[in-house]
Amino acid sequence: MNVRNLFSAALVIALLVAIVLAVGVRSEGPPIGREEVVFWHFWGGRDRPIVERIVDRFNQSQDRYWVRAIAMPGSNLDLKFFLSVAGGDPPDLLNQDDPIVADWGHRGVLTPLDELATSDELKRLDDWLYPAARQLGTYEGRLYALCNGLDIRALYCNETLLAEHGLELPKTIDDLDLIAETVAPSGETTGRRRMGYLPDPRRLWAWGIVFGGSFANLQATDPAAMVTADSPEIVEALTWMAGYSRRYGPSELAAFRSGEQALTGASFPLLSDRRYAVVMDGQWRVRDLETAESAATANGQVFDRFAVVPLPSPLGGRSEAGWVNGNFFVVPKLAHNKQGAWEFMKFWSGFEGHEAEAAQACAAGGWIPASQQVVDQRAYQQAIERWPLLRTFVRLAASENQVPIPALPVASMYNQEVVRAAQEVLYRGADPAETLQAASARVRVRLEEVLDAR
Amino acid sequence: MQRNELKTGLTLISPWLIGFLALTLFPFLASLYWSFCEYDMLGSPRWVGLRNYRRLAAELADGGTFARALANTAYYAVVSVSLSVVMGITLAVSLSQKVRGRAIYRSLCFLPSVVPLVAASVLWMWLLDPQQGLVNGVLQTVHLPAQNWFQSTSSALWPSSWPADHMGRVFGSKDGLVLMSLWGIGNLLIIYLAALGDIPKGLYEAAELDGAGRVRQFLHITLPMLTPVIFFNVVMGLIQSVQAFTQIYLVSDGRGDPAGSTLTLSMHLFLTAFKDLDMGYASAMAWVMFVLVMLVTIWLFRTSRHWVHH
Repeated sequence: MNVRNLFSAALVIALLVAIVLAVGVRSEGPPIGREEVVFWHFWGGRDRPIVERIVDRFNQSQDRYWVRAIAMPGSNLDLKFFLSVAGGDPPDLLNQDDPIVADWGHRGVLTPLDELATSDELKRLDDWLYPAARQLGTYEGRLYALCNGLDIRALYCNETLLAEHGLELPKTIDDLDLIAETVAPSGETTGRRRMGYLPDPRRLWAWGIVFGGSFANLQATDPAAMVTADSPEIVEALTWMAGYSRRYGPSELAAFRSGEQALTGASFPLLSDRRYAVVMDGQWRVRDLETAESAATANGQVFDRFAVVPLPSPLGGRSEAGWVNGNFFVVPKLAHNKQGAWEFMKFWSGFEGHEAEAAQACAAGGWIPASQQVVDQRAYQQAIERWPLLRTFVRLAASENQVPIPALPVASMYNQEVVRAAQEVLYRGADPAETLQAASARVRVRLEEVLDAR
Repeated sequence: MQRNELKTGLTLISPWLIGFLALTLFPFLASLYWSFCEYDMLGSPRWVGLRNYRRLAAELADGGTFARALANTAYYAVVSVSLSVVMGITLAVSLSQKVRGRAIYRSLCFLPSVVPLVAASVLWMWLLDPQQGLVNGVLQTVHLPAQNWFQSTSSALWPSSWPADHMGRVFGSKDGLVLMSLWGIGNLLIIYLAALGDIPKGLYEAAELDGAGRVRQFLHITLPMLTPVIFFNVVMGLIQSVQAFTQIYLVSDGRGDPAGSTLTLSMHLFLTAFKDLDMGYASAMAWVMFVLVMLVTIWLFRTSRHWVHH
């Protein structure tokens, strides 16, 4: 075969592949007479089939819109979305869980929901949502995102292990310190295999609130006064967290944590060889506990007893408090089918008569709904009966003291700076007050620039 | 005739020319303009003069994030380039000896450099896992302390960064990255082997007649004759280590963790541009990075006349 024949053959094959691909793409289009809603989301793993079922149910319930869901699991959905916006071809709808509402809302990337919903609808929505769910979607008093599920953190406690040490469930910060010291006494020992409790630097967002602090003053007009990560309560929270680093040593702390990376699959550290007596985590671990219990029972092993308690607070702190994030829908400014997107958002979150449907979805995934009205549905109450540990998370979801990362147009940077400051203190032994002041100063400078640019 | 030739020539190089203009020259010049602007890539750039550069200077002065990124980059570049030169020459000299199976040894040393970077990074994350990794397993077998590698902010060659309770656990995330960079030493090896092959045999014969042993021959013939190649590898290695991104992104979970210890300039630039939507500041950072690399390269060229034997 000479070169010309080879080239012709390659061309024919390329054409055939292109035709097959084109036909394939066409066959995925919406049914005739239906408007397509392109929907990007991050859901993967065991949650993805649940999301696909929600989309299927919506598509079956509709004769006007048809949702095409595109899964983009991983950590860079925000970047992909951002590039699609910059390129002028964003999806119609995006489900996100990063603190991007203020950053994007401020830059005019998102459609405020008051452009999609009537004022009556908005008022009802305001009453319908939990306070935390409302805060997650709000920037400068306007709702930009509709929350469809909350991620609440609480303390999972191995009651059996605690009882073996003569300890009870923690109700105060002192109780938690006692658990830590009793289960893993401080000293020169290295290579510990078990800890009572270890604060995670990322959770300064939670402990800061519990200690009575607030990371932002959104009422302030001066940008310098808006960022308050260096307020005394938050410094106190970080100082308390740093106490654990001093107790065990930053190197020992890093060595202990590193073991968690190597745990197989999605193992819950608390379960792995009773690694912790108490650990802070989200409601999704309830399902992990159930799976582990089933496996232990099948193997004829005795399974420890577990409980979930709210984060204990110090004197003067807040009860039922913590850091909350969640999953929410946003509609890009350049979306082609905004009304279709709005209909689907309502369907999934459960707003305006879709509560039973939403309860079914949340029950299947063990998710925390964004509204009490969804929680009250029979399907969700049955889920709580099935997973009693979920009850504490649901109760916390309604609390006014569950606070997300502040809705500032530098939220992404703020998040990074706070976490890095906490890491500096816990892993490098830096001074909590000075580190938080420096981090806050950097965020203030940037906030001022961003607000000036408007 | 000449015009026709020019036209044909331009037509033939047009794919490259278009690519160069659109994908290299335009972003290069655009980033220079953006470095003087407030720009989030969604709206239009707004001129702010030297503000972004002033912010960089302030961060440099007060030890802020930019200063941290610069220090991390310098540590990574200096240590990885130095070690790659030492290891590259040592391996090349060893593999240039006439021993049985030399070709196999050479192939084995080159093999890692054809492994894709992402796959190699994932492999290294496992090798350097503090609790289950092979490297710590070997260290413990010879009664050395297990290191925390990518979980630690410590730097082995920077004692002030060692944790108070280190007990010998001084290697940290940057040292892990340096080890990873040595994985790709095969490319350098080929260059050193070629250079070793070019050294005239007569020089060694003359030295031998003068009574010089193997060590003196290495120090006074091999090393000086390799200096042009060492110089080339140092300059290229320096530029590549400043640009390193993929492996750092992977091991630091895309954040420069822990505590910014793997936050290099390229990583900081990426996060600033695409996570914080601050393209103006990121562009200024890119230009400072460019100027710094250029200054170091010029310095290397200037000093080369004292140590490079052409």
